Amino acid sequence: MADPKKPRPAFAPWDTRELPGSFTVEETAVRVGNYKWIEMKLFEVLGGWIATVPELDVKLRLGTHCYHHAWHAELFHKRLPELREMNPERLTLPANDELVAFVDAMTAPEGQGETIEKLVGVYRVLIPHKIAAYTFHLNNTSTITDAPTIRTLKLVLQDEFDDWRDGEMMIQSLIETPEEVDRAARHQASLEKLMLAAGGIAGPGSIGNPYALQEATA
Amino acid sequence: MASVTVTPDEWQYVAFDSARIAAVAEKLLGETGLDVDLKIEVDETTPLGRVSMTSLQPLVVAVESGAFEDAKRPRQLSEVAVADVLGRLLHRCRDRLDPAFGEPPPDAALTLQQSTAWDAYAVGRCARLGYPVQRQRRLYHFRNRHGFNDVADQAFARLWEAQGLTWADLEAVCQETDAARSASVG
Amino acid sequence: MRKLFPPDLLARDGRFTRVNNADRFNDPRGARGVAGGRPGKKGNNRLTPDLPEAPDAARTLMHGIFVGEIQALEGAGRTCWDFETGKGSDEAPFELKLDMARQCWDEARHCEISVKLSDWMGTELGEFGESAFLYEAACNPDPVLRLTGVNRALEGLAIDVFTTMKDFGDIAGDPVLEFCEDWMLADEVTHVKMGSDWLRRLTADDPERRANALEFQRVVDKLFSFGGLRGETDENPIKLARRFRELAGFTDVEIDDISNVSEEATREAAATGARG
Ligand SMILES: [Fe+2]
Ligand SMILES: [Fe+2]
Repeated sequence: MADPKKPRPAFAPWDTRELPGSFTVEETAVRVGNYKWIEMKLFEVLGGWIATVPELDVKLRLGTHCYHHAWHAELFHKRLPELREMNPERLTLPANDELVAFVDAMTAPEGQGETIEKLVGVYRVLIPHKIAAYTFHLNNTSTITDAPTIRTLKLVLQDEFDDWRDGEMMIQSLIETPEEVDRAARHQASLEKLMLAAGGIAGPGSIGNPYALQEATA
Repeated sequence: MASVTVTPDEWQYVAFDSARIAAVAEKLLGETGLDVDLKIEVDETTPLGRVSMTSLQPLVVAVESGAFEDAKRPRQLSEVAVADVLGRLLHRCRDRLDPAFGEPPPDAALTLQQSTAWDAYAVGRCARLGYPVQRQRRLYHFRNRHGFNDVADQAFARLWEAQGLTWADLEAVCQETDAARSASVG
Repeated sequence: MRKLFPPDLLARDGRFTRVNNADRFNDPRGARGVAGGRPGKKGNNRLTPDLPEAPDAARTLMHGIFVGEIQALEGAGRTCWDFETGKGSDEAPFELKLDMARQCWDEARHCEISVKLSDWMGTELGEFGESAFLYEAACNPDPVLRLTGVNRALEGLAIDVFTTMKDFGDIAGDPVLEFCEDWMLADEVTHVKMGSDWLRRLTADDPERRANALEFQRVVDKLFSFGGLRGETDENPIKLARRFRELAGFTDVEIDDISNVSEEATREAAATGARG
């Protein structure tokens, strides 16, 4: 080993983290509040659906996933005061009214024969949008100043990927006819349109804007 | 031909049907090769499910109503349950009436090990007659009495598949599993 | 999806059959014992392996626990959904919902454990009728009453049952039963403690609400001591598990109270048995 007194840089040669990030403290808090809101809506409806779903394996998975999203809500809730929002409820908000409309439609199915609709709403629409928004945030926030949010997002994303796979496999196993393929696709399309209107789980800009440069120079 | 009598004839506490019970019993008598008259006395005043042979000659069986009841529908008769209960019991009666089987002690004097070993042998024969018996349930019962170990499992498998056993064979199984249990304790 | 989902609509596949409580309680033959004994019968009724029908009695009891786990899962899930988030008396605080979501995960695992245990014991899923007792207690419109009725009363009973079954597995030498019961017992102590903690927190300034909740718990405790099922003597098939109840936030006075309720039920069962 080299002389322990010999100075080393704070950032090792392989550590390329940089200061600037795309979000201010305030912007981060607003997004995190949106995340907490959507995670709450998700864990609440998964909990509510358990009693309405006759398929035993699905019933048990919903119970497991319900907790995952509750835990995400808790992680985001705890991050809010660290982002100078001492009243976390104040920022626990939907991104916009369109997202509320999306959640209302996603949580509407109740019947015993509607497991496909319930799962499609969560696993083919909402969770992919959450993965997208969280990934955008993860890749654009400051890797130095916002390390706590990054850590939370990484933990959350791991669950999202696992749960998405679980949910997608449940859907594939439930769909047995071409008519059911259409049913699933129709429901997905109607929810996607509502999500499109909302602009994503954190509203427009949930995953950034690829045309921003073009628009700025036009 | 052997006759079956079921009492009571009229039911007040449960929605049983004596003729349906008798039909299952008659079929079983034929299948087990028992050419004797059978009397089935059901105590419909209790929901419990104990069953016993109260007399061998003439053959009398006492049954608490829970034993014939549909486990999913209180107070309704289940022919599957009737066949399950009587199939096991009638095979044991048949063994008792067979001189070649040997001289087992009366039911009340059987140890829990002897009784479950005999049940495994009896229910295994019911399975081969095509009745929907629960092998794993019987194995679990057997393990509780003979030990949760490979020796007990192998003994159960032999009893389940066996034909033409004697009382001495059943006693030998009990000794074998007893030795294995003692060895694992020591 | 509606708020407050009625018990008769609980979704089940074709293997399961619902038994209504009125049929069960109005059975003219009286109550059925847990350990194959006559309810209220004098002498030793404790569910132990040495009883001739003990393995089947244990199997039957475990199926009852399995459907209870499903309903506990459903009930906890509904508490996440049925209430707006907040501190009002008709709302559920955010942290309470988090606890209920955690309980969903735990109960889902208990269902998984129960399914494996059913295979092990030779029980088919749906082999026995299911009554919606537990879920009914989970339908109370006041979240505090839900938590006292379900978490403190019913899951308190689960602590007693799991302790009895763990001992059963230990004595019978059944390694799987003992292992499963011990893990489930650990979770149930946590759930009962959740009930105790939330009862105290949410009714700290509302003695009337607390009294209502404790009365509801007493009613549920009494119902589930039906036939002298649970108590402190060997006459009761299921033993009141004092130590684990202490861990779960019960005071000595509260445990004594449950013991008294159980004794009352045992005496009533004995009186009915003597008539029958
Ligand atoms: Fe549980
Ligand atoms: Fe629980």
